[in-house]
Amino acid sequence: MNIFKKKEAAQTEGTAEESKQKKEKKPVTLDIFDFSGDNAITVRDLDLFYGEFQALKKINMEMPKYQITAMIGPSGCGKSTLIKTLNRMNDLVEGCRVVGEIIIGGLNIYDRGVDLSALRKNVGMVFQKPNPFPMSVYDNIAYGPRTFGIRKKGELDEIVERSLKQAAMWDELKDRLNKSALGLSGGQQQRLCIARALAVGPQILLMDEPTSALDPISTGKIEELCEELKKDVTIVMVTHNMQQAARISDKTAFFLLGEMIEMGDTEQVFSEPKHPETERYITGRFG
Amino acid sequence: MTKASSTKVKDTSAKVLFIVCACLSILAVFGIICYILAASIPAFREVGFFQFLFGTRWNHNTDTYGILAMLCSTLVVTVLAVILGGVIGVFTAIFMVFWCPDRFHLRYSGPNKFVQKMVAWLNKINLRTIFDQIIKLLAGIPSVIYGYFGIIVLVQGGLVYMDPNYRGYGVLATCIVLAIMIIPTITSLTKNALEAVPAQYFEGALAMGNTKAQAVFRVVFPAARSGIISALILGIGRAVGETMAVQMVAGGMVNFPTGLFIPICPLTVKINMEMGEVVPGSLHESALMATGFVLLVLVLIITLSVNFVPKEFKGKKGTRVLQGGGENVVYRKKGLIPEILKYCGMVCAGIVVISLAAIILFICINGIPNISWNFLFGGDGYEGHSLAPAFLTTFYVIIFTLIIALPLGIGAAIFLNEYAKPGSKFVKVIRTFIDTLSGVPSIVFGLFGYLLFVQIFGRSVFAGAFTMVLVILPTIIRSTEEALRAVPMELREASYGLGASKIRTIFKVVLPSAFPGIATAIVLSVGRIISESAALIYTAGMMAVASSSVSSAIDPTNAGSTLTVFMYSFFAEGLAYEEAYATAFVLLVITFVLNLIVYFIQKRVKKKR
Ligand SMILES: Nc1ncnc2c1ncn2[C@@H]1O[C@H](COP(=O)(O)OP(=O)(O)OP(=O)(O)O)[C@@H](O)[C@H]1O
Ligand SMILES: [Mg+2]
Repeated sequence: MNIFKKKEAAQTEGTAEESKQKKEKKPVTLDIFDFSGDNAITVRDLDLFYGEFQALKKINMEMPKYQITAMIGPSGCGKSTLIKTLNRMNDLVEGCRVVGEIIIGGLNIYDRGVDLSALRKNVGMVFQKPNPFPMSVYDNIAYGPRTFGIRKKGELDEIVERSLKQAAMWDELKDRLNKSALGLSGGQQQRLCIARALAVGPQILLMDEPTSALDPISTGKIEELCEELKKDVTIVMVTHNMQQAARISDKTAFFLLGEMIEMGDTEQVFSEPKHPETERYITGRFG
Repeated sequence: MTKASSTKVKDTSAKVLFIVCACLSILAVFGIICYILAASIPAFREVGFFQFLFGTRWNHNTDTYGILAMLCSTLVVTVLAVILGGVIGVFTAIFMVFWCPDRFHLRYSGPNKFVQKMVAWLNKINLRTIFDQIIKLLAGIPSVIYGYFGIIVLVQGGLVYMDPNYRGYGVLATCIVLAIMIIPTITSLTKNALEAVPAQYFEGALAMGNTKAQAVFRVVFPAARSGIISALILGIGRAVGETMAVQMVAGGMVNFPTGLFIPICPLTVKINMEMGEVVPGSLHESALMATGFVLLVLVLIITLSVNFVPKEFKGKKGTRVLQGGGENVVYRKKGLIPEILKYCGMVCAGIVVISLAAIILFICINGIPNISWNFLFGGDGYEGHSLAPAFLTTFYVIIFTLIIALPLGIGAAIFLNEYAKPGSKFVKVIRTFIDTLSGVPSIVFGLFGYLLFVQIFGRSVFAGAFTMVLVILPTIIRSTEEALRAVPMELREASYGLGASKIRTIFKVVLPSAFPGIATAIVLSVGRIISESAALIYTAGMMAVASSSVSSAIDPTNAGSTLTVFMYSFFAEGLAYEEAYATAFVLLVITFVLNLIVYFIQKRVKKKR
């Protein structure tokens, strides 16, 4: 079961092209996930059950690489459920059963033998409520790399600095790396969580209502950050804020009662939705 | 091996280890039952089971063994103590929850600056917290101190004058001492039960025009009934198993408890009095084990019966009062009884405070003058008695016990909270066994340790430590579990989301966040070990005061007395009352400091949240 080689270390460096080149140079791939295709994520005929209850019905969608895909829909329609299937966080839920395929980096992630650790390293997640660990800023960010066996101080320092820079927080935080992360403001904590997710070099970043607990200014910062980040990572974001979806996403998918009603370019979905339900929801939420 | 599969192996083997830790409580309970039963079989066979249970004479010189009188003594004393302690404990809890003011509201408008400052300072004190701490302190005071207080103050200072035979000890003295000892258990559990009653019951009753006292006694109190009954049952368990304090005030003569001043010999006392001089392998030894077995069965029945307190009848009466609209409303004009009960609560709370104050004063007044550097740390060079060997033994027992018990207890807690399906049968079984283990009386642990660990290690600090592991395991499991439960799920998710394995998540994220809880567990365990005596006497040993020395205590394969046992020897040998007081003072200070540490840890945790 040679799924995951330990030597994948700091693979995040540089732009996408560089990392692609690196991959080509080294025939021993860093993991078995291969993100050279156009779509970062492909979902095929996905059904999901919580016990008897079917929370997702025949979902089919494709999320293109280096774009932001927004998922919208009324409460309880299954957005969080879907986003959690993308890195198998649903495995933690008792009685949750998945049928269908989710292809990420050329692999069906629900195949037997897929290494969860490797999957989650490639598919990072940012949660609704900021959830920094009760440790220092530094240790928060170093947690992921340490999980993957990086122990050298120099290497970790580098990763911490790079991740914080990527999350546009380096200047804010470089003097308080050893202070507890719990002392940061809510917005800072959330961006720290993004930096923490970036530290393991994910190809995809899942965000479930990342700004719903934040004030408008922090929200703006995170939106800016997303636009910046999509150069290097593919972002999937659940949001209840229509303006936010319209502002920053490239693709938008609309869900209703466990079904995906419509997915398309954001502009198209917002200006001329194909489905009357989508229109009703969007106009209702805008108006 | 690839990383993926090696993590898997690690995860699975860790899980297996945790399950083993969790099952240890089951093993311990069965082990105790089996060992003691096996050791009692000769007695049951020789004497005859019924002859043993219903015989009224006990004389080991003639090998006559019948425990009926002792059994009756235990039962009668327990019932009386629970009635007395139960009433006081429950009313104190009611007072604490509903009437204890937050702060003093003293006023002073005079010119004296000092008095002004004092008043301001007094007004700042949080009375509820103080009361909580009083109860916890009462719970932490070692049995030997209660016994000492009982014999000197209660018996020689009061009851002697009421006893026509001028003895004072016996049934009544035992009841009073036991009542004081079980009050903390009953009060704190009752308080939890009262606080768990939803606030809307209380508010609803007030809204219908009930007075506060009516609302409390007609609605909240009945709603908390099942919790209060459980509290009383646990109080009974504690009273049945208490040894050292009872031994000092019961009188130690095998009699039926036919009067308040009859000297008696409850089961625990018989065991404790004769275990010291028993010939190994004799029928006498077996008879004492059999006595322990009867005691164990009694306690098991009592502890297990808590599980049969119906949970449904929790709240029924209370809700009915609230739901009843119009004609069903229980509404009487200002009821007299609730008002009277309210004052009962205040009186009982007063009794509790006064008892504690009396014990503390008694120990301080008699103890402080006898404290000296040499007494504390004098060592072998010092002519007089010194506590140094006892400190050393206590320290060893604490360290060795914790080294063994902590990993086991934390492992069990991890299994229960992180791996097991909540509410599954298996978990329920384990929980029941943990509760059972925590209800086993110290002296039974002592007998078990004598049968198993002393056979392995000889009478030594190690045997004592292994015995204490079983004693403190439930405490560690419970408080660790509580702490794990308080760690937010989001932190675990964050860790998994970064690709961390379960085992890494537990060790790097969950356990560090639960650290204050684990620290509390450690401090509580230390307290328990320090206050323990009955479980240690036959395992770690009880040295004659004169023969204890640092040079012997320094080697943990030797027997040694811990502080409480040492204090008991001072008393039992009847030579050195001053030293007994001084030791009691030291114990009191340690208990106080440990309580303070727990308080500050928990305060910090609360602040963080
Ligand atoms: N662990 C669970 N067990 C059982 N049912 C669940 C579980 N989690 C979610 N559900 C159900 O699945 C459905 C979808 O829930 P989900 O959380 O995905 O909705 P959502 O679209 O994210 O809603 P919101 O916008 O409120 O976050 C809901 O009906 C919910 O009740
Ligand atoms: Mg959601």
